[in-house]
Amino acid sequence: MNSPTPSVCKANSSAGILLIGSVSWALLGAGLQVLATIQLLVPSLAYLLPIPWIGYGHLAPLVSFLFTYGWISSGFLGVLLILIPRISGIPFRYGRLLTSAAILWQFAVLVGLAEILWNGSTGLLSLPFSRSVSVLFFISFLILGTGLTRGLGRSWKSGPLLPRLYLLGGLIAFPLGLGTAELLLRGSLAPGALQIIMQFAWHSFLHHLWLTPLALVLLFQLLPALTGRAAGSLSLGILSWVATITLGGWIGNSLASEGPMPSWLQSAGVVATLLLGVAVLGNTLLFKPLLEGKWEECRRQVALRFFAVGFWSYFASYAWITFLALPGVRQTTTFTMVGQATQALLLFSFYGNVLAGAIYALLPASRSMGWPSHPALAYHFWFTTLGAALLASAYALAGIFQGLALNDPGVPMSTISSYLRPFLVIVLAGQLFWWIGQLAFSSIFFASLLKLFPSVAPVAVFPANRDIPNHPLHPAHH
Amino acid sequence: MKSSQALVLVFLALLFAWAGQVALGFFQVGRLEPILNEETNYPAPPTPSGLAQTGARVFASQGCLECHSLSVRGPSGSADLTRGWGPRRTVPRDYLFREPALIGLSRIGSDLSNVGLRVPESKDLLMHLYNPRQRNPNSTCPPHPWLFDSSLAGPSIENEALSVPTRDWKQLLPSYEAKALVAYLQSLRTDYALPEAPLK
Repeated sequence: MNSPTPSVCKANSSAGILLIGSVSWALLGAGLQVLATIQLLVPSLAYLLPIPWIGYGHLAPLVSFLFTYGWISSGFLGVLLILIPRISGIPFRYGRLLTSAAILWQFAVLVGLAEILWNGSTGLLSLPFSRSVSVLFFISFLILGTGLTRGLGRSWKSGPLLPRLYLLGGLIAFPLGLGTAELLLRGSLAPGALQIIMQFAWHSFLHHLWLTPLALVLLFQLLPALTGRAAGSLSLGILSWVATITLGGWIGNSLASEGPMPSWLQSAGVVATLLLGVAVLGNTLLFKPLLEGKWEECRRQVALRFFAVGFWSYFASYAWITFLALPGVRQTTTFTMVGQATQALLLFSFYGNVLAGAIYALLPASRSMGWPSHPALAYHFWFTTLGAALLASAYALAGIFQGLALNDPGVPMSTISSYLRPFLVIVLAGQLFWWIGQLAFSSIFFASLLKLFPSVAPVAVFPANRDIPNHPLHPAHH
Repeated sequence: MKSSQALVLVFLALLFAWAGQVALGFFQVGRLEPILNEETNYPAPPTPSGLAQTGARVFASQGCLECHSLSVRGPSGSADLTRGWGPRRTVPRDYLFREPALIGLSRIGSDLSNVGLRVPESKDLLMHLYNPRQRNPNSTCPPHPWLFDSSLAGPSIENEALSVPTRDWKQLLPSYEAKALVAYLQSLRTDYALPEAPLK
């Protein structure tokens, strides 16, 4: 196992801040999400307690913001700060600067939260906060991203190529997307309908060119390490990477149907989504052999269990997005709850499980600790998995029913709302399950950080790498 | 693959996405101009008032977009026109003066592209904001009482006061935000013809 150097320890403190923030924002977001759904389910509550900042209109964008920027982005950056110096063998310099950047990211989330609570959202898709918050995110990212890029550049040839390619794509897409969206959406440079095109483009960049590539970095780097198998065809992997990076930014256009989007852009979005489905299939073919016959190991290794669910969710999420892009389906499901189903699949099933797997795999290595055998680990897995499955399926069915009913002019809007109620009950149950799972994870995460559990020998990714020939973590490479 | 090759490839791929959407989008919809109606001598789409533009931000901040869309589709493949949400489908030119330009995410409530046409009276819109169930008992829209100020009525009730029962000689007056939001909602109408979307 790599022994941590002092610089790595400094990087660990920045990773620690990002991970503590990530776990905390997820807990808060999960609680607020439950509150928002209760309001949607029982609209009369708003009459009993008319407080603007806990109204559905404030909470819904806030929850989305907390999950995207607070939980997942912060968490991915945290685990990458642990991973990159170890696989590159190059410790981070300027540890204090990285720690300041990690604190700045949390501060940006906090300011964004306060803004959306008190002033409400800006209404812009995936950009519900003011320019000052974007600037904070941007500065923080520049420091964190520079640290990660340095390790990436110097170790380019010393390890598997695919995770490095995805990391490179993600690290360039985020500042490019955020910077141009900020300039064009808030600088009056994009008039009228062009603003809507920009919003969909930024939404695509955020999810499919920033979060998805980072999740794939972790899958491509850690799954082979945990399973002791190497990923198959490099050519197929590179082809899928090129398709993901080239087409990911176009997917948002398939969300719109008619209206302000030029029809060629909508068609381009549909074609991009269908082609990206092929790229996802390529990656699935690469991952699947790694997990074959590993069920027993999945039961024993908590990290591998989360990665396995994360990988299948990756496939399911993009299969769902591809299904929604089909012209007949798109026309029916636009402006329905299928959007929330996609969000639930991506956030809770794909990104969430990959992040949890990475934390379980990497935190022991960074803090020289092992996860104690505790029922909370099982609670975390089962409650979050069940919760995410309930959420995604209930939203998906609700959206399809809603779309079909909206297309029938004989069904009044109030009846459509009543159709949605049983699905919202299941959504609420899913959100509660997910919250309980996240509570279980938080308890074990914070207790382990505070060393409240008896120390256990680390059973994590780095010792396992010794068995993989030609792996960057193999002793021969150091 | 060398790191420099990968870097060039990533830049080209991202440039392709940006140039394809933003640059081509700019040439197609970013340079649209209003059409002058020769009969009325008014431009279409009409320029919204400053109050309505403020109202667009209030509309976004109150989270109305979480349940209402601003895009009428049709006539084929959608029942939007049959539901009476507008006299014609919306097209990119309709969003020309909208700042911020928004289309919404979900339709838990009705589409509002033509709410100014369907509910033209400001009193009705204000009442809906204060208590949506006053007009429609089955409404799932939450009330927004914080957009109204309670003040002593004085010798007579002011014109713009809501006609709701109050206690202690009080009257409910719409705040600046409520007035702006109503002005914005009244500005949402597409009852003008455009070359690409004529009225029936």
